[in-house]
Amino acid sequence: MADLFLPRVATVLSQRDETPDTRTYRLGFRDGAGQDGFGFKPGQFVELSVFGIGEAPFCLASSPTRRDALEVTVRRTGELTDALHALAPGDEVGLRGPCGNGFDLDAAEGKDLLFVGGGIGLPPLRGLIWNVLDQRARYGRVTILYGARTPTDLVYKDELKAWAARDDVQCLVTVDRAEPGWEGTVGMVPVLFDRTELRPATTLVYVCGPPVMISFVIQDLLMRGFGEERVISTLERMMQCGVGKCNHCCIGHRYVCRDGPVFSYREIRSMVE
Amino acid sequence: MTAVSAVTIATRDLLAWVKRIGTRGRLIAPTPGPGGDVLYTAVSSPEEILWDFENPLAPPKQFLLPQTDPLVHIRRNGKGVAVASVPWPGRQILFNVRSCDVKAFAYLRKAQARDLSDEGYLARDDQTVLVSLACTRPCPLGFCLCCDAGPFLKDGYDLQLTPLGGRMLVEIGSAKGGELLEGGEDWFRPAAPEDLERRKALEADARRHFGAETCHFGSAMRRVSTGRVPAALWDKMADWCLECGGCTLICPTCYCFSVRDRAEDGGWTRCRIWDSCQYPAFTLEASGHNPREHRGKRVQRRFFHKVSAQYYQRDGDLGCVGCGRCIKTCLGTTDMPAVVAAIRKGEWHG
Repeated sequence: MADLFLPRVATVLSQRDETPDTRTYRLGFRDGAGQDGFGFKPGQFVELSVFGIGEAPFCLASSPTRRDALEVTVRRTGELTDALHALAPGDEVGLRGPCGNGFDLDAAEGKDLLFVGGGIGLPPLRGLIWNVLDQRARYGRVTILYGARTPTDLVYKDELKAWAARDDVQCLVTVDRAEPGWEGTVGMVPVLFDRTELRPATTLVYVCGPPVMISFVIQDLLMRGFGEERVISTLERMMQCGVGKCNHCCIGHRYVCRDGPVFSYREIRSMVE
Repeated sequence: MTAVSAVTIATRDLLAWVKRIGTRGRLIAPTPGPGGDVLYTAVSSPEEILWDFENPLAPPKQFLLPQTDPLVHIRRNGKGVAVASVPWPGRQILFNVRSCDVKAFAYLRKAQARDLSDEGYLARDDQTVLVSLACTRPCPLGFCLCCDAGPFLKDGYDLQLTPLGGRMLVEIGSAKGGELLEGGEDWFRPAAPEDLERRKALEADARRHFGAETCHFGSAMRRVSTGRVPAALWDKMADWCLECGGCTLICPTCYCFSVRDRAEDGGWTRCRIWDSCQYPAFTLEASGHNPREHRGKRVQRRFFHKVSAQYYQRDGDLGCVGCGRCIKTCLGTTDMPAVVAAIRKGEWHG
């Protein structure tokens, strides 16, 4: 890589509010040609910068099968994300990447796939889900289980409906606390395990969400007979460089930005620090 | 001594040689600083250079990895921005660098070269000539002997100087080093067998003068690598850590950093700035979650990176060169030999 730290300039093409504090941006490289040269895998992330404020890692929420734009979904939670939320279409941002290992799509071929997302953990899975759905014939059953604190906190509300309407996908949604007008399931994500048919022997599970949710979902899955190597998750750590140099994201000698962010639970459990 | 060629130069010719070296790039060397300190600085006249000095508290790493290190210029350009990498100023000669610090530069290069290589850093390193000054006496707190980082070096230097009394032995470790001798043919003569014998004797003598209390990494490495050091022991070792970050900032092998945009006329410069794994915010995530909130965890992290077998296998070296600076700078006692001893014995002295 010629220069690890040199960002490319991208433009905000459009934006869409997901929840009161979360927004999805569609980004395109300023030199349009760059778009085609930007190969990535779902589960990889980019270092996104607002010039003058700084940069931070965000997972790519779009699928490499859809090349017209890159999408990131950002929750407003600090200085940089405040600045991101102040952007308007046409504004410029910096992009470095793609960073990280991404999901192994070859390993998923022919398998049943179970996606378990919590809150703002759906965006990294969404890129993978669209990748799978755009090549639907390569995979077995597709099940999407998603939970958020309240109906307001659900991201990609239209897509959740669209997935649920497909007959080649099962998509179930739950919320921790209902709001007026909510007629769906109430409860933490694992309540959905009893509403679908789990097939531990043929399934790969992708779990993404806040640490506490990941932890209880994985314990539940193990109890239900899923092998540690079949449970795949993404880890989060404070990151700066995204290229394995700055040492912020280390767990032992593993670098979440290079060796991850995607790890099997077996790998996670073997980590020593 | 087989692969190394060596020459000698009379002490009276040294300054003339150094003066010539100064025309080949920026010359950086130890000089007397305020309050009796020794500092590595850019020198304009060779007379300022110190030849007999205790290794300064601030290592020369800042000349390859500046504390604030400009990486990318971001300039406003109409409604948009233009971005460009910041070029490195050019050739520099780091003169009279002690063995431990030379070894540390080799470690830093490996860290930047592995996996995704930081070509910008490697280009700097390529443009840097390391002239090592062998240590004929251990410094008061040094334990380079335990880290294979001194008092004399086998390799890793471009030139290695050893004062033989009346003349200086110059061992040539690389083509880059050899270039510094070009044009000075009148000053240099091939080292005689007795010069090399004298060097050997000096090294053996220096090694004999290390104290009995050195730093035994072996068992510490085993325990750290397998997670067998109890959390309570880490907490105890961290008890007198004041979270000042001094140990990491003056450590010649520490290279953790953050990236920040510095405002300037017409835009910003994106800089790599030193950071420390000993600071609580080093791992603080935007969500508020902090996997190393407790000081013990952070001290554990520092020593895992320095002495674990996982990192040893990755980098081919310990992350410690035995310079002893952490002993000197720590306001408590959380320094390398103390921690290694505590891990071996399973108890903290405090």
